[in-house]
Amino acid sequence: MIKCPQAFVMGLLLFTPLLCPHQARAQLDPWEFEVYPYATEPRGMLEVETDNAVVANGHSQGGNGTAAGTFRSQAMWYNGNELTYGLTDRIEGAAYLNFAQPSGHGFWWAGDKFRLRGRLFDQGTLPVDLGWYLEFEYHKTPQFDDAAWELELKPIMEKDFGPLSLIANPVFEKVLSGPGGNQGFEFGYRNGVYYRWTRYLSPGVEFYGAIGLIDDNDPLGEQQHYIVPVVWGELPHGIEYNVGPGIGLTPGSDHVFVKFNLELERFVGAIFGPTLERSWFF
Amino acid sequence: MRRSRLALTITFLAASGTMLLHSASAAVESEEVRFENHRFVPQTIKVTAGKPVMLKVTNASEETIEFESFKLNREIVMTPHETITVRLPALNPGSYDFYDDFHQDVPEGAIVAK
Repeated sequence: MIKCPQAFVMGLLLFTPLLCPHQARAQLDPWEFEVYPYATEPRGMLEVETDNAVVANGHSQGGNGTAAGTFRSQAMWYNGNELTYGLTDRIEGAAYLNFAQPSGHGFWWAGDKFRLRGRLFDQGTLPVDLGWYLEFEYHKTPQFDDAAWELELKPIMEKDFGPLSLIANPVFEKVLSGPGGNQGFEFGYRNGVYYRWTRYLSPGVEFYGAIGLIDDNDPLGEQQHYIVPVVWGELPHGIEYNVGPGIGLTPGSDHVFVKFNLELERFVGAIFGPTLERSWFF
Repeated sequence: MRRSRLALTITFLAASGTMLLHSASAAVESEEVRFENHRFVPQTIKVTAGKPVMLKVTNASEETIEFESFKLNREIVMTPHETITVRLPALNPGSYDFYDDFHQDVPEGAIVAK
């Protein structure tokens, strides 16, 4: 396990200016190790996606690492299945079915998620391309979380420098029902740096983490921070992939997991017409 | 004194901003490409390197297409007879692909920046 080398922490500081330890318990969505770009699903397109993460070296007690419920994270397989549809040129809607296989406990339904995501203005209009993300999450308690309903808000920022794309998704999460419902927002991040090499194989590095409540952070050792080198691209028949190992950077993180996401999109027909000239939201 | 200095600074910043926006829009190069008869016309678009480009794309066919460029990070679905404007940043010299991702048999096009 990597014990928080200074260089990594300095890198994380660049992405999370709010890192300063205190109390509380943060969490991170292990069903979806994915960084969202500015671009939404094109109008009329339907995308089927399966996001997977297997914890190769985790924690033996529930409530630690990526496991926010009573099951332990060690050898857990997180399986999220997502259906996304491009409602307009700027807004997409998605529904998720989350499953998990805790070690020795068979395959469980772990919860659902519903979300809207959008992009603002045309790509390249602003110096940084901006988007938004609004999600409601339901978790099966107490096995996979201690809170049943949560709200997640994410501004999306993307900037291209030639073949390099920098993407930041700061995460603001609020418990709506369950323990912590009377507390404020938690803060986390999902950030990525991607190099467009070829359509079929390109490298990238992703960063995931959570620090706890915004006004009352977890002690650094209990926070979760991961660095995930990935390869991504297109397979035959238009299947897209994103695969890589996740390495925990703090004792509170799982030590190693492997993520593998696959997605396939097809045009099924648009409900709405093209976005009007000068429209910036819808 | 302090108030007049502040007013002067604001006026200067506003004027600079307006000039910057004006010069930025003036420096943009415009190009056009049409999708018809199952191909892009022209197939090669020459642009000036270092200048932002407004690319007007018209789908003149009866097919729904997806105008996509991997290298330029653009992906837009276009219904029949739809026209869009794709804003591209100032490009380094080189060749940048574009294609219809819905129809793999459509010949790939290129934006060549020189």
